[in-house]
Amino acid sequence: MFPTANESLKVMSHCVVGFPSLEENEHAIDGLVAAGIRLIELQVPFSDPVADGPVLVNACVKALAQGGSFEATLALARKVSRRHPEVTFVLMSYLNPIYQYGIPAAIDEIANAGIEGIIVPDWPVEAMRPHLLHMEKRGVAPILMVTPNTASARIAEIASASRGMLYVVSRMGVTGSSTHWGEEFQTYIARVKEHTNLPLAVGFGVRTREDLQALRGRVEVAAFCSQYIEWQAEHGSERAAERMAQVVQSIQAA
Amino acid sequence: MISSEQGLFGEFGGRYVPEILRPALCQLEDMYQQLRSDETFWQEYLQLTQEFSGRPTPLTALPRLSELLGGAKIWLKREDLNHSGAHKINNVLGQALLVKRMGKQRIIAETGAGQHGLATAIIAARMGLQATIYMGSEDVERQYSNVFWMRQLGAEVVPVNHGSCTLKDALDEALRDWAASVDDTHYVLGTACGPAPFPELVTYFQRVISQEIRAQAKHQIGALPNAVVACVGGGSNALGAFCDFLDEPSVRLLGVEAGGRSQQPGQHSIRLHGDLASPGIAQGYKTLFLQNRNGQLGETHSIAAGLDYVGVSPVLADLVARGRVDATSATDAEVTHAFQLLMRYEGIIPALESSHALAGGFALAKEMQPQEHVVINLSGRGDKDIFNIAQALPQQEWLDFLEREVARTEQRLKESAQCPNGEEQYVSNG
Repeated sequence: MFPTANESLKVMSHCVVGFPSLEENEHAIDGLVAAGIRLIELQVPFSDPVADGPVLVNACVKALAQGGSFEATLALARKVSRRHPEVTFVLMSYLNPIYQYGIPAAIDEIANAGIEGIIVPDWPVEAMRPHLLHMEKRGVAPILMVTPNTASARIAEIASASRGMLYVVSRMGVTGSSTHWGEEFQTYIARVKEHTNLPLAVGFGVRTREDLQALRGRVEVAAFCSQYIEWQAEHGSERAAERMAQVVQSIQAA
Repeated sequence: MISSEQGLFGEFGGRYVPEILRPALCQLEDMYQQLRSDETFWQEYLQLTQEFSGRPTPLTALPRLSELLGGAKIWLKREDLNHSGAHKINNVLGQALLVKRMGKQRIIAETGAGQHGLATAIIAARMGLQATIYMGSEDVERQYSNVFWMRQLGAEVVPVNHGSCTLKDALDEALRDWAASVDDTHYVLGTACGPAPFPELVTYFQRVISQEIRAQAKHQIGALPNAVVACVGGGSNALGAFCDFLDEPSVRLLGVEAGGRSQQPGQHSIRLHGDLASPGIAQGYKTLFLQNRNGQLGETHSIAAGLDYVGVSPVLADLVARGRVDATSATDAEVTHAFQLLMRYEGIIPALESSHALAGGFALAKEMQPQEHVVINLSGRGDKDIFNIAQALPQQEWLDFLEREVARTEQRLKESAQCPNGEEQYVSNG
């Protein structure tokens, strides 16, 4: 289940399928769920992830060497979605792995695997439109992105095609760098809310408890992804999950 | 002239980019549509190419090789004689005029062989712009002379250390930079690939090559050539050479890809012929990519750094699909042989990239009749490849020279460490 509008802030975290290994992905997800995470992106590793920063790029390179793929993501999703029915799993991928699988068949398999939504940064709304009806029928929510430089009319267009959540890219650039949450950001969020009642998921640059505090009460979901993968790479999945538990507690306690 | 239907060339092309890049591409598209109908822009562009780059480049006959090979008369279109030593400058000069119109102060670029990076660094120095050039770390090693020059020209050269460490990774990194900097930065994409409008835009600026071939052939040969041959990495020099002949069915157009060491995965860059590549969507556009069944882009190889790109221009992919352009490939060994032939028989040192066109063009010429004419686009100069060639044709004399050069450089570094301001004094003393 996706959050509803005006619900308190939820943390979404991340799994690059095949990183550190396919076996460890399952344990890492168990750890995230135990930490209180209820929204998890399963990233299909890709050779050319142009919207990602160095942390996710390097994780993708390693994941591919460990057997990460679209099919491996489906296999993982089938297991973890059954084991954790309280968690909403979202597939994050670049378009080519989905395109190679065959888009309609890929949507069917995504739904069959218990995945509730998809985030595909290089799949523009125009090219996605012919497939929206099929996604709707299969209960796969297209979670599209808006950015600070998206014109208002286009925000409306993107929001109308989106389901579940609207992904709000916090700033210009790729994943993994820090962001300022000042007046400009508030104006941006207000502009997005003029065009949609969907819950907003903010990503690209959410790395600290302070970032989460800044987002509380303004949006419904904070995508805490690159920082988690960085912890996972440096300290292992178990320690990374412990840190995520502290992150979740910090916003619940505040 | 090449033009697309909403950025599409048949089933190829398009604009598959993260949303953050869309406004910059739309702005570029608008500007491109305006300038296409603005004859004064084209005149300004031609004047710049003449005054700065040295156009028109000559059409040079190869009498000795034509006789040796015994087929058609062979001509070279001498893009190697451009300032910067390659056709890449044509596109960079055009995009520099766009940067001026857009009022941006920074340019970024990706480069494989370094020729596009060098051209970008040159125009940045000329126009007082800040330049950042992304280059795969493997290509940095292979083309260090160009890296040296780019840095001397004032550009920042950033080696890309992930993925296959070649051109495709440099392109990804440039797109990432652009996503963070679109407000003040223009991405001078170096070939007719990537998201719309780049394939069409780059072709627009490179068509000056075929415009000149056409006029020169009429003057020097008395007719259009029977065939035009070009190497194909991304495809910009080939499209430039083919563009004005697309509506001339009598002119055969042949693109020559990098056959590398073999047709095993990772050992070549053959995308346009055979069934080694397949349609895919990546790096902002749809084209034929070398990829596995999971849609992961593959490793490539060529003796020429500028040709080992995993995709190919969507314009060329469509032209080949429609049968208007033929494609073939040349192996590293065939390329080295063609390189040597041109040097020994005609006194011209070609780039290894262009030597692919020579290999394909020489083979084609042998099949043609003596009264026919083939034009081979010599896209770049060969002196940048001196280290690669020295490795391909190893000689003790070269190794001895390198050892002496290392000793001399070490001595100079020691001396400059003892007198750290020496270089500044030299500069200030004029």
